[in-house]
Amino acid sequence: MSVSPYWNPKNETLTRAELATLQTAKLQRAVAHAAARSPFHQRKLESAGVTAASIRSLDDLRRIPFTTREEWMACQAETPLFGDMLAHPRERAIRYHLTSGTSGKNPLRVLDSRRDWQWIAECWAYGFWAFGVRPTDTVFFAFSYGSFIGFWGAHYACEKMGALTLASGNMPTDMRVRQIIEMGVTTVCATPTYALRLAQSAAEQGLDLRGSAVNKVIVSGEPAGSIPETKKLIEDAWGAKVADTAGMTELGTICMFECSHQPGGMHIIEDHFIEEVLDPATDEPVGYGEKGERVVTSFGREMIPVLRYRTRDMVVKVPSTRCACGRGFDIYEGGILGRVDDMLLIRGTNVYPRAIEGIVRGHAEIDEFQVLVEKQNDIDEIILRVELKPGTEACWPRLAKQLDFDLREAHEMLRFGVQQADAGSLPRFELKARRVLDKRRKP
Amino acid sequence: MSEARDLLGRPLEAVEREVLAAHEQLLRIAARSDLAPCVRANTLAALALTWQMANDLDLPVDTPPE
Repeated sequence: MSVSPYWNPKNETLTRAELATLQTAKLQRAVAHAAARSPFHQRKLESAGVTAASIRSLDDLRRIPFTTREEWMACQAETPLFGDMLAHPRERAIRYHLTSGTSGKNPLRVLDSRRDWQWIAECWAYGFWAFGVRPTDTVFFAFSYGSFIGFWGAHYACEKMGALTLASGNMPTDMRVRQIIEMGVTTVCATPTYALRLAQSAAEQGLDLRGSAVNKVIVSGEPAGSIPETKKLIEDAWGAKVADTAGMTELGTICMFECSHQPGGMHIIEDHFIEEVLDPATDEPVGYGEKGERVVTSFGREMIPVLRYRTRDMVVKVPSTRCACGRGFDIYEGGILGRVDDMLLIRGTNVYPRAIEGIVRGHAEIDEFQVLVEKQNDIDEIILRVELKPGTEACWPRLAKQLDFDLREAHEMLRFGVQQADAGSLPRFELKARRVLDKRRKP
Repeated sequence: MSEARDLLGRPLEAVEREVLAAHEQLLRIAARSDLAPCVRANTLAALALTWQMANDLDLPVDTPPE
């Protein structure tokens, strides 16, 4: 019997018209569930005059009010601990998680039921299967398994599909690397930053990752997983293919994944989510190939219905036909391109952290970096601080010149400071990296 | 009785009817009041799985009890 390349062949190969029919039916059910059980959504749907019966096509989606992070935080502040968004009593939940807090805002608290956890794992399974993970694989999770939801769902997805699953928990980095090699691990899951850190640790220990059994590195948690320069660094260090995935705690799981055909972006899991792309200034939909903010409606999570959640993530959607894999799911070209609010304005020039990372990761000598923004004599200054890999210090004069040139060239000749940082002086990250330090912002 | 259909409006295939039947069988077990804790907990766990099977196949099932 041949094994399907799709985790869910029925839905992954639907035509766009069939997908619209399915999404409309699921949207009706999602609205009915939210209106019947979640006071938060009841209020909003009622005030907009939206009922399940009034949803007749996907065009009706736009009548549903947006849900914002600020509203969600406010409802949790008004009704601690979980607000009134929950659609079932707390007793139905089996797990509690928090958002990562990297946005600098108060973390959101989420509860999930047994059914939710099956669904969370299911969405991850779409992605892992699409990149070639199979029951014969040995999968290592370089993840601390704390209250941040991170790779928890991916762990369960691998158990569900029958792969041998290794949870590294609080294991130190050097020990993780040794276990990856000793256990014949074929698939490693980490943030892009931490995948590089593991490779660095292997080099420090004199261990050969390229000669190991690892042939897939699946990353999540940072936009860097879709930055070609960062991806290439990871692929070179591991001698393995790298696939990106993206999700958020607010949605419980991933909403998109990169398949083994690697079309330069991630397929959206469109039988479990509706992903709109809107102009953040006008809230009007943008077309294929245009950049906008992703707004997500989820069909699977029963404890926390999510209708039209403004993610603040910037994306460009392109048609599914861009990929040869046969899936009908559209694609976010280049993955998550950044956040609506992560642009830095420096002396009138727009600077995006992703663009800086793309330049920095083009230089394999760079081990870690940080972007410092501060006022000097009332003038905004942006400084790139760079830590070099041991043994590469001699390249600094040439590298500093090149970085200075590349950064200016990419930013309308904006002046950047480029500084060498002492070895080991910059912060290292296991979860989401925070490399931009904007000292102009009030704490 | 009208023929059961999935959320796409298609008639159910044989395997889809079997998944629905398994889910409904588990729902009947879960509704009993004489279950030992081990049977109740495992029935609820199994229901979460059959719900997900039905969900993947676009079958119109309601949320499992708790």
